[in-house]
Order: sequence, then C-alpha cells, then structure tokens
Amino acid sequence: MTREDVLAVVVKHLANAVDGLDPATVDPTRSLKEYGANSLDIVEVVSGAMRELKVKVPRAELNKLTNIDGLVSLLHDTKSGAGVGA
Amino acid sequence: MVRVVVDDGVTEVRLDDPATGNALGEVMVTAIGSAVHAAAASTDCRVVLLTGTGDTFSSGAPAALLAQLAQGERHPADIRLPRVLLDCPVPVIAAMAGHAVGGGFALGLAADLVCLARESRYGFTFMNMGFTPGMGTTALARHVLTPAVAHELLYSGELRRGDAFSAAGLNVVATRAEVVPRARDLARRIAEKPRRALEALKRTLSLPRRQAFEQALTLESLMHQVTLGAPGAADTIRATYVE
Repeated sequence: MTREDVLAVVVKHLANAVDGLDPATVDPTRSLKEYGANSLDIVEVVSGAMRELKVKVPRAELNKLTNIDGLVSLLHDTKSGAGVGA
Repeated sequence: MVRVVVDDGVTEVRLDDPATGNALGEVMVTAIGSAVHAAAASTDCRVVLLTGTGDTFSSGAPAALLAQLAQGERHPADIRLPRVLLDCPVPVIAAMAGHAVGGGFALGLAADLVCLARESRYGFTFMNMGFTPGMGTTALARHVLTPAVAHELLYSGELRRGDAFSAAGLNVVATRAEVVPRARDLARRIAEKPRRALEALKRTLSLPRRQAFEQALTLESLMHQVTLGAPGAADTIRATYVE
C-alpha cells in the first residue's frame, strides 16, 4: 500500500465526517481542523482510517500530529513497519 | 461550575466549565444536583432547561474518576447523577448543542425532552476503553433512542453526528446555533402549564425510565465488577481516554 492510498483513505473518512467537503481540494499540508473537523470528528476520522487500514496507533502518538501529512506518514509507517499488521 | 438563570417559569441550568468540556467531576456533579434541587424547590419553577457552555455539552467522567473506578477506590454505583433529572418534579429539557460523550450523553438522555445539534457528536465511549457502560446508559439510551440505535452506539463506541439522529424521533435536531433557542421555545410553551399538572404528568411519564434506571444501575455494577476489575483495566483506560 502506497502513501497515496493511505491519504485517500484518510480523505474519504474526512469527507464523511464534515459537511460539504470536496475530497479533490484537500491539501495534506493543512490540518483536519482547517477543513472544519472538530475534535470529535477527528477522533472518528482517525479511528475509521485505522480500522480500514487495519493498523493501531497509540493515542499518545496521534496527539503529536499537526497536519494530514503527519497522520498519513504515521499510518503508512505503521502499516509497512516490520510485523505490524502488514 | 454551573450558572442558573430564572426566566418566567423556566430555570436554565448551564454547565459552565468549558475548559474541561463540562466534565462530570465531583464538584460539577454536586453543583448540578444543588442547582436542580434548588430549581425544583422554587414553586415558580415549571421547567428546567439544561444547557452547556462551549463546544461540548459534557465530556462525561474525567480521566481521574475513571482511574479511581478501575482501582476500586470509587464504586460506579455511587454515580447516580441521571437520577437528579429523573427525580426532578418538573420536566427537564436537555439542550445538548455541544458534543455529549459517555456519562455526559447519559445525563442528557435522562431529561424528559432531548435536543441535539446536527454538527455535534454523541455517543458512548465506555467500550472503547475496555469496560461496560455505566450511569444507567444501558436503560436510558433505549428509552430515548430506538433500541437498535442504542445497542449499536453502546457496542461500537461510535461518536455519531447529531444529524444522523434526525430520524430517531428526538425532540429537536437543529444547527448548533438553533438548539438552545428552539429548546427555550419548547420550555416556554411547557412553562405556561400549571406546576401541579406538570408534576403529575412528569411523575407518570418518567416512571418507566426511573424503574429501568434503577434496574440498569444494579446490572451495570455487576458488569463493572468483571470489566473494571479485570487485570490491566486501568492501563487500558489511560491509553484510550480521549481528552
């Protein structure tokens, strides 16, 4: 699974969580919050993406993230990491 | 912690600790209880309107309280906050414009009329943290939502957007800005009725929920002995608690 695949999963869950978002316009250098996701929207976006990707990332790691790119990297690295659900 | 505004038969009790998401710590729980009791003691009060300051109506139990429960320092059956609303002699309207999670949602569902916001989220996160639901939620949720929806939310721990409850037959599902004004309209309409009649009807309509709540607390505390008493329960809560 490529980084782009992971990004597509995240964007899909973001589009489900907030109103009126065009997935084509999402800039991964920006944060989920900038696209109108509130704190609990973000909880659902991240847990939905983790479920679809079959990865688990500790909440402490997630709290450090600042933008969509960071989340995608964390999910992608965990997914392709040695022995982690790959 | 709690602000009280009295207006023509309607007593608004506003949870006012936005820094914690109006978490239900001991001080907040006591403040809500005192405010609702004081409202009920005033013969002019005909409706209680429960609201919250900030993005979150109530985030439920604070992490510290869950840790105490898992360590057996507190007993989940001691937490009987929904009873304050169920036993309030006049009808209670919960205007949950902000998110309501876990015990915070249970508190709102203990009201007689329930109002949600389209863009806020509502759900029960107990099972996400590895233990079974408390605060009477296993009963309260079924009495307000459909049993199917209640079961799904309790099992899955999903935090569901308010607009998804539009078909659930709740009293108000509106935009965040509209929730409290709509709830207040509802409150004023009810406050026109005589207190004695409101008390009689409240006692009757709330009876099945009061009975179900007591039964649920008993069963929930048995489940808690198993799930909160399990090895590692406190660690799981710490790792999965959403601030």
